[in-house]
Amino acid sequence: MTWYDVYAIFQGAVFTVSISLASIVIGLPLGLGFALIRWSSVPVLDRFVVVYVSVIRASPAVTLALLIFFALPVVGISLGAVTAAVVTLTLSTAAFNTEIWRGALMSFPREQLESARAFGMTRGLRFRRIVFPQLVHSALPALVNEMTLQVKSSPAIAVLGLVDITRAASRVGARTYDPLPPFVVALVLYSLIVAVFVMTQRLIERRRAAEMEALR
Amino acid sequence: MTPPMDDAEAPVVLAAHGVSKSFGANTVLTDMELTVRKGETVCLLGPSGSGKSTFLRCLNWLEEPDAGFIVLKGQRIGIRPSGNIVMNDRELAAIRTRIGMVFQHFALWPHLTVLENVMEAPIHVQRRDKAEVRREAEALLQRVGIADKAGQYPARLSGGQKQRVGIARALAMKPDLLLFDEPTSALDPELVGEVLAVMKDLAREGMTMVVVTHEMAFARDVASRVVFLDQGRIVESGAPEEFFTRPKTDRARQFLLRYSAQ
Repeated sequence: MTWYDVYAIFQGAVFTVSISLASIVIGLPLGLGFALIRWSSVPVLDRFVVVYVSVIRASPAVTLALLIFFALPVVGISLGAVTAAVVTLTLSTAAFNTEIWRGALMSFPREQLESARAFGMTRGLRFRRIVFPQLVHSALPALVNEMTLQVKSSPAIAVLGLVDITRAASRVGARTYDPLPPFVVALVLYSLIVAVFVMTQRLIERRRAAEMEALR
Repeated sequence: MTPPMDDAEAPVVLAAHGVSKSFGANTVLTDMELTVRKGETVCLLGPSGSGKSTFLRCLNWLEEPDAGFIVLKGQRIGIRPSGNIVMNDRELAAIRTRIGMVFQHFALWPHLTVLENVMEAPIHVQRRDKAEVRREAEALLQRVGIADKAGQYPARLSGGQKQRVGIARALAMKPDLLLFDEPTSALDPELVGEVLAVMKDLAREGMTMVVVTHEMAFARDVASRVVFLDQGRIVESGAPEEFFTRPKTDRARQFLLRYSAQ
């Protein structure tokens, strides 16, 4: 295995990070939106969310990727491989995020909402000023956990012909007849990516703790 | 210290007429009537489950009454003036800014400091000037005796301190009246006094208050009027000295006997 091979796997890592981040950035607010629809029992739409979450949760990422890439052209929607990959990962993570946000919303103390109502806050203000700032912190560990799972389910999009870390590593292994080194490199790269997520989470948690401790 | 007397000439701040409420098959309130005049402290008394808290929560429409109506300074609330349409979230919110509320379990917002809790609604709901609100909030915290805790988060406070923040938070809205929902029931006995002292001061200064409470001594000393409820109906209503020394009904006598036995 040459330095060029390592570079090739690293390029796969850049791609993995890019599509994972794209799906996370879109999937977080999307999941929150769906969770709010469920939480406030918006008629009809909340049924749609239930079905969506059930279907996506039951569907392996590989199957979903193939479905989106090959089935959508049948109804006249044709997506490029990269777009299809991002759509797959976004739909998948948004479904899990929906359940995480919803769990955090359901355990939100009712009396705080009630006092917010009694003090004349409208629905939007209650969410923005009272619920959301606390929700972010209570949902954070589960959300970061889902982000790391998301990074690790991203190799599924290799079925669309895209080259992520795992695909790049197996290509190198196939060419050099020595698969062990490239997969070690792949594992190290995955660990580094996940470590960045976890460290960011710890940083936010420490800041929050320091803020709550602070005497002004 | 004498509480302000029931002044029949003082303007009516809040009136409830024929308020009824059921939860499913369970009737909680039947045909409740209440008139609160400016400067009055009305204490709602009664055994657990008599509907006191539910009635209080109907007064600012946290609970939607099934029948009857609530009038705040001549304006019917909860229902639009035209027709029988229930007000939407925004309309109800606008009215609730004029009615302060203090909760049994404080219901402070834990992610905000004491000072921020007090400033939150005046700034974000009433959209008043931040510097002015801050000055007033600091003065209010001074008044309830916790100015030194302004920068603390509620989790650091004792129950009595939390409830005094709750009162300051309600006062910061400059409401037409204050509702208290069992403000001392969740407190350790030795902390009850500090909260009642603040409420006593408010009553003396002429704040209009409706108080659901189990503190009979407070009701006797501070209330301008007591209203005794049982099973969702008003059984008796009148001056505290009258009610506590010569209750008119058997039900009230039994109730008071239980308290004096303690």
